[in-house]
Amino acid sequence: MATSAISSGAPCDWWPGSFLRYTLRMNVALTLAITKSAAKTSRLLGRGGGGALPGVIADRLDKGLARKLIRQIPHGVIIITGTNGKTTTTKMLAGILEACGERVLTNRSGSNLRRGVLSSLIGAASWRGKIPATIALFEVDEASLRRIAPELQPRHIIVLNLFRDQLDRYGELDTTAALIGQGIAATKAHVHLNADDPLVASLAKYAGPDRAHFFGIEGLPASSTTAYPTAADSNRCPVCGTMLVFVRVFYGHIGHYACPTGDFARPQPSTAITSVERADLSGSQFTLAVGGKRHEATLALPGTYNLYNALASVAVADGLGLPVIKVVAELARTEAAFGRVEIVSVDGRKVYLLLIKNPAGFAQVMETFLLGSVSPHILMLINDDHADGRDVSWLWDVPLEALEPLSPVVTTSGTRGTDMQLRLKYAGVTARNVINADQALKAFIRGIQPGGTGFILPTYTAMTAIRRQLGKRAVISEIRI
Amino acid sequence: MSRRIVIAHLYPGDMNIYGDQGNVLALIRRLEWRGYAAEVRAVSIGQPFDFATADIVFGGGGQDSGQSIIGADLLTRGPELRAAAAAGMPMLLICGLYQLFGRGFTTLDGRELSGIDVFKASTIGSTTRMIGNIIVESPRFGRLVGFENHSGQTILEPTQAPLGRVTSGYGNDARSHKEGAISGNAIGTYLHGPVLPKNPRLADDLLLHALQARYGVTELEPLDDGVEKAAANIAYGRPR
Repeated sequence: MATSAISSGAPCDWWPGSFLRYTLRMNVALTLAITKSAAKTSRLLGRGGGGALPGVIADRLDKGLARKLIRQIPHGVIIITGTNGKTTTTKMLAGILEACGERVLTNRSGSNLRRGVLSSLIGAASWRGKIPATIALFEVDEASLRRIAPELQPRHIIVLNLFRDQLDRYGELDTTAALIGQGIAATKAHVHLNADDPLVASLAKYAGPDRAHFFGIEGLPASSTTAYPTAADSNRCPVCGTMLVFVRVFYGHIGHYACPTGDFARPQPSTAITSVERADLSGSQFTLAVGGKRHEATLALPGTYNLYNALASVAVADGLGLPVIKVVAELARTEAAFGRVEIVSVDGRKVYLLLIKNPAGFAQVMETFLLGSVSPHILMLINDDHADGRDVSWLWDVPLEALEPLSPVVTTSGTRGTDMQLRLKYAGVTARNVINADQALKAFIRGIQPGGTGFILPTYTAMTAIRRQLGKRAVISEIRI
Repeated sequence: MSRRIVIAHLYPGDMNIYGDQGNVLALIRRLEWRGYAAEVRAVSIGQPFDFATADIVFGGGGQDSGQSIIGADLLTRGPELRAAAAAGMPMLLICGLYQLFGRGFTTLDGRELSGIDVFKASTIGSTTRMIGNIIVESPRFGRLVGFENHSGQTILEPTQAPLGRVTSGYGNDARSHKEGAISGNAIGTYLHGPVLPKNPRLADDLLLHALQARYGVTELEPLDDGVEKAAANIAYGRPR
């Protein structure tokens, strides 16, 4: 029983521990009592939702708490990592698991560092240390996997993709891949890797052939593949460094590739989309091959990137032994995660909220939602807070030149709205920058005909702010795809 | 026939990070807006390239792996690039290629990457990552704004002029308050952001020297840099 497990009594210099450490060897219930009260106090004092605080305190009191709490969850832990799609995939897979009768514990997208995950566990536990979940599903930051995986001993790990993202945090993409590799090597988990991303596929070496599984796309309609060149983030062979040869590129560096020296090639995926019958703004219809059997499937989320999120979810569900027919039925019902694709109605205008985080994600949003429209109204909100990435140079790696022929009507705002305006100027697009975000939103909405459509593209903290602003206007009736 | 400027882009496949493409784009657009044509030619590993056909040399930053991959090829082009720099060819090298345009780079694990000696500067790896917004006062270009992200510490020899003095941020080595290096019209710097769009004086300096050498142009037509200046002012006001 986890609640009776005795901690190692880790030394502690924080006050609740300092008077306790000589007198008690703390148990789980006591640690939880202290951390949960602290979170509650923090909320009462108006210091936010207590986010990572319980995790911080628990670490001081009992380093082994996560291990003990996890032990009671009968179907164990699943971890989702990678640059883009973590939150959406978590939501998708949670829906599938719930439909199959599991009680699922997940973390919130803002809490994907180690202490955030720990806080989610503490939040879910009763005062006696009971967690009423049958399975836990955590999205984990790429650099945090190494520290969190040995503690949680996940049974499955998904690695979605690796793109340049907030380089100010991680240094370099090869470094990020190595950190994920260390996380994989520290577990006995089955690892589900994107076969179409060379750097991700190369992580199989950390798991060995028995634990590595691949998912991928065999073919896409021409209308869904990138029509313009984007910056390729991983174009060299992860084994010998020779330039990879791509026979198909779906977007960025995602596609079918091989090293001309013959030492590395795209692995054959065991979970695959063999063909896509339809792909538009309402979603995709496609043929899925799982363990050699074919299934017709639909996904109510648009974009090629969401096909990969769906594949990863199906691969794990299959790995857990869930019936594929039920899994496929649930895919059709998946909704978008917070801010990823939301449609709101503002003063009679239909407005898409589309989170942008990095060049690859931005390019996919443009391709899925903007290309093909005539004079689209776009509001780009660029912040440079820590959660957005302090360095905004990534805007120059986004192929914004593709917007120019559409004659878009663009407003920019945010702490780095002028950087976006400047980037657009060099892409041949004249944008107006409105420093005040409230006024920018008003100007943007007023510019759209009543009954018309607009697109808001915010970075992470700008997304949080714009949802607050939209809420204040009290004119939204939220519809989710 | 409009007058054409050729930009030699060093190793765009391996040394192209932090929006370096934006520097090339800034050069292209600022030529086009003035009625000149621009052509970008990639310099790739193992491919012959005659730098006499180029007017500007540009090289960006990269991952450590990128630096190792291109190192040997760059050395074969060293004598030609050194001669071109000495003859006054405008060059802009950012981060990773700035380091390799110096004497060399000694990595943390003791590996030696030789440079091509355009700058009298040596770089050593360190465990401190120097990240953040950076502001530099340059005698030739005035205030420069950008973002730096490097762990290599670059030490200039006494006779090597820096690009400028750091007023906020780390710069070459976090101690000397010197940032970058400038020899003739060859400029090395840790500033990205990318550096040229928000610092149009620097971009125009490279262009003027290129146009002067090729066509005898002595003056550039001024452009409306309102958006550039606004973005630079915002960058200037952001916390480190």
